[in-house]
Amino acid sequence: MPQPPPAELSFRVGVDAIRVQRLQDVIAGDFHRRAAVFTEQELEHCRGRRREYDHLAARFAAKEAVLKAFGTGLRRRMRFTEVEVINEASGRPRVELGGAVAEFARGHGLHQLDVSLTHTDGLAVAMAIAVWERPCAST
Amino acid sequence: MADVDSAVKEAVVEALALDDDEVTPDSTIMNDLGAESIDLLDILFRIEKSTGVKIEASDLGDYIQGGIPDDEFSDDSDVITAKGAEQLAKVMPQVDPGEVEGSLKAEEVIGLFTVQNLVDMVKSRAAAAAG
Repeated sequence: MPQPPPAELSFRVGVDAIRVQRLQDVIAGDFHRRAAVFTEQELEHCRGRRREYDHLAARFAAKEAVLKAFGTGLRRRMRFTEVEVINEASGRPRVELGGAVAEFARGHGLHQLDVSLTHTDGLAVAMAIAVWERPCAST
Repeated sequence: MADVDSAVKEAVVEALALDDDEVTPDSTIMNDLGAESIDLLDILFRIEKSTGVKIEASDLGDYIQGGIPDDEFSDDSDVITAKGAEQLAKVMPQVDPGEVEGSLKAEEVIGLFTVQNLVDMVKSRAAAAAG
């Protein structure tokens, strides 16, 4: 049975844009750099796709957007790989959190998190919305 | 290992496509020089390549907070506490603890991180690695 929504919800949005070429310049051809930013599943999803770096850049923007929606940036111990963008069978992206980012989300009462990605003309953009079950320091 | 001061400056200049004289030790990397997260990654990757000192983006926040838990570094409104301000003055000596305590938000701290602060961090990491 669906749970009633918590009495008090607050939300915060985050948005980020990145030039695809900029990301490519920084991480192309270097496994360690790619692995510092993306999970293996993210890399695998984008590998071999037409416009691979457009997809990676959109994911990078999503990570940034989520951290902005959390109001944290890369606070202590938080890693880019702890915000993982997964594509459902429908193609809709969703975010899996890990490590210090997941710990922050749990500790601050994250109720729901959603992202939307796009890329066009060499620019990748993502938006995230985080809904919290109680007023959060960051919201 | 390359001279750390020069290596850090070169990394910042090249990553941000700036002129040499635009980057001074007192320049804040994000607020003054306009670096974004991808630029910060680029700077750290370049420093690793030239000095061998590996610093992840997540290490910056860790270095700044110095092991102080989040809820002691900043209050419920995310504003820096006295303890947090004291820590900031250790790793970012240009920061006046009296000015930031009770007014600066934790998420704004990284914007005040200077080229010199990064040099100091790289030197600290290099020294720790050397034992």
